[in-house]
Amino acid sequence: MKKKVLLMGASGSGKTSMRSLIFSNNPASLTARLGATIDVEQNHVRFLGDLILNLWDCGGQDAFMDSYLTTQRSTIFQHVGVMIYVFDVETHGMSKDLEYYRDCLDGLKNFSPDANVFLLVHKMDLARQPKNLTFDKKKRELEEASGESAVTVFGTSIYDESLYKAWSSIVHTLIPNAAVLSRHLTTFAAACSATEVILFERTTFLVIATSSPVVPDTLSPVGTEPGNLDRHQLDPTRYERTSELVKAFKHSCSRVREEFHSLEMELYNFTAVLDEMTRNTYVLIIVHDPTIETAALKLNIRMARRKFEELQGDSLIS
Amino acid sequence: LNGHRFSGDGVARTKILLLGLRRAGKTSIQQVLFNNLPPKQTFYLETTMRIVKHTFDTVIPLEIWDCPGNITVETLNAPLSQFSTMIFVIDIRDLYNQPISKLVEFIVAAYQDNPNMSLEVFVHKAEKLQEDDKIENFRQIHERVSDRLLDISPEYEQVQLNFHLTSVYDHSLHEAFSKVLHKLIDSLPYLEDLLNVFCANSQSPKAFLFDTTSRLYIATDASPVDSATYNLCCDYLQMLNSFGTLYKSATGNARKQLPATPPPSASSSLSPIPPNASSSSDPSTPTATTPPPNVTTHRPSRDLFYPSASTSLHPSTPGTTLTYHLITPQLALLALLPTSVYEGRRGLIEFNVVFFREGVQEICEVEKEARCGG
Ligand SMILES: Nc1nc2c(ncn2[C@@H]2O[C@H](COP(=O)(O)OP(=O)(O)OP(=O)(O)O)[C@@H](O)[C@H]2O)c(=O)[nH]1
Ligand SMILES: Nc1nc2c(ncn2[C@@H]2O[C@H](COP(=O)(O)OP(=O)(O)O)[C@@H](O)[C@H]2O)c(=O)[nH]1
Ligand SMILES: [Mg+2]
Repeated sequence: MKKKVLLMGASGSGKTSMRSLIFSNNPASLTARLGATIDVEQNHVRFLGDLILNLWDCGGQDAFMDSYLTTQRSTIFQHVGVMIYVFDVETHGMSKDLEYYRDCLDGLKNFSPDANVFLLVHKMDLARQPKNLTFDKKKRELEEASGESAVTVFGTSIYDESLYKAWSSIVHTLIPNAAVLSRHLTTFAAACSATEVILFERTTFLVIATSSPVVPDTLSPVGTEPGNLDRHQLDPTRYERTSELVKAFKHSCSRVREEFHSLEMELYNFTAVLDEMTRNTYVLIIVHDPTIETAALKLNIRMARRKFEELQGDSLIS
Repeated sequence: LNGHRFSGDGVARTKILLLGLRRAGKTSIQQVLFNNLPPKQTFYLETTMRIVKHTFDTVIPLEIWDCPGNITVETLNAPLSQFSTMIFVIDIRDLYNQPISKLVEFIVAAYQDNPNMSLEVFVHKAEKLQEDDKIENFRQIHERVSDRLLDISPEYEQVQLNFHLTSVYDHSLHEAFSKVLHKLIDSLPYLEDLLNVFCANSQSPKAFLFDTTSRLYIATDASPVDSATYNLCCDYLQMLNSFGTLYKSATGNARKQLPATPPPSASSSLSPIPPNASSSSDPSTPTATTPPPNVTTHRPSRDLFYPSASTSLHPSTPGTTLTYHLITPQLALLALLPTSVYEGRRGLIEFNVVFFREGVQEICEVEKEARCGG
């Protein structure tokens, strides 16, 4: 199953940079070397089992934009699963950005009315202080410009975990049966006496599902997590920060021509195991019960593997 | 003890002088190493106007003097004989007269007052230049300093100067500062011996004793240090430090933490740990809510809990496993092990760690007594 993801926005807003961080495991420092994207760069990323993301990175220079909206209109906007529109937080050309954005929304309405729309207010690391006010203002402006269309807005930067939060949310909408995965993770968590279990996609380390009801998502009200989690009041940014931490370490490993494979920790506050779950996923089990050994957790993962391979296959048949 | 003076808290601290022109990067270096400041944030640091003394406790207690750029031997207002080390920071793009003169001025004064002082030059912000320019500027700075010293007197040929390429944006700074630190640790040979024993008995090709917060390595075994391996260990430690706080429960139920200082009974008799069952547990056991019975615990038998972690770096054998074991509240052992050894002989490794820990704790005790009792 293929899902088409459109990545749009003005030239220099950071589209290719974020793609290279999330999908190619390049460090942020290398993005300065990227040149402007010419026309559309298409990439196929095998994401989960049979789910293939068909990523369209659309170069943002005016000439290209004009052609997307006219001669290439149907090619660009048909069969879209998600459109991600990137805005540079400190842009000088907001009115032109918005004009192009509205035209793209129109195109999408005509050709892919069911597509989800995500707006990223990007380069938040450069935003004027106080950053949350700058973001709120931008968000309101973007929601107004979107009119009737339902949109989700995230503030992002390639220099922190915010990018992973946004992209986890985005891919979550593309996984047809994420709720089923979540339910089984909850059962698995109980079997491990775990506080929480988190499932990541293998190469991107984006969060696919968690044992708590919903993946982190601005759409869901906060504080709907089950009792055990409530009690520990874990850091609300833990999912995206875990993605960022593991991605950074994977990159360190690749620099010495090693390949990250698994991790176990028995620290003061918790015990954790991060290991392969299926061919496409990694699982992180977090336990706050000091009597549980990592060996037991690893054993449980081994025994749950087949079940999750099946589930993953099932969840994608639609 | 040359260079140790008792300071406010009654501890004889080893003093390090941090010098260099304005904006050379002194405060950045201090903050990135000892205050966990993210490198990008150094951009917002304000100019240092007065001497700021930072203390840092690791195997030995340190006092680092971050000086303003315009300081001279006279305005320092402290005899150079107090200091064990002088670090002069020089921007790698700064090939001009001014920083070199200043450096030479301090070297001459230091050589007269305190010939035992180690003299270190950090050629800093190295990541700003391409490889070729980097080497060329480094060479030129080195050459100019040597020439100037010889111009003053041929006697200065004997001055031992150590040059390092550094940047806050990679681990070169940590590696350089580690090397500076090694010269100040009197007990270094004993720590190295313990590491050699650990490596030999555990088939480890490389092991480091790290200071966990600064990520400096305090000591390593006799095999040569390869920067790439050191960087990997540094990154691993950084990841573990971050994980440690990320999943911390607000309601406690933490394991018994180590007291800020090692227990006085650190040299008490060794209690061997029962060898662990191999991890090839029977896969037919049903999913369990409690640990399967054939998994023996390997908690230290003392009531103190020592955090540990391991990461396997290759999906199949023969792969490498990178282990982490806390040794004292401040120090951790990081070792590379063949995965087959780590998985097949876990009990032996744990035993070697306990033995290593006893030794290091004892050495730390001795260091401490020498500082306080002296
Ligand atoms: N400060 C900051 N810079 C960023 C961020 N993301 C990207 N950049 C920089 O922005 C510049 C342009 O990024 P690109 O990814 O090439 O932009 P693009 O949207 O693909 O541009 P076109 O291909 O021309 O449409 C690069 O120099 C990146 O390093 C961010 O989050 N913060
Ligand atoms: N590119 C680069 N900049 C650095 C580095 N270290 C420090 N800086 C920058 O140099 C400037 C001066 O640093 P600061 O520590 O205040 O210098 P001080 O006056 O010597 O204490 C700051 O803007 C830092 O961000 C480095 O390794 N690389
Ligand atoms: Mg591009």
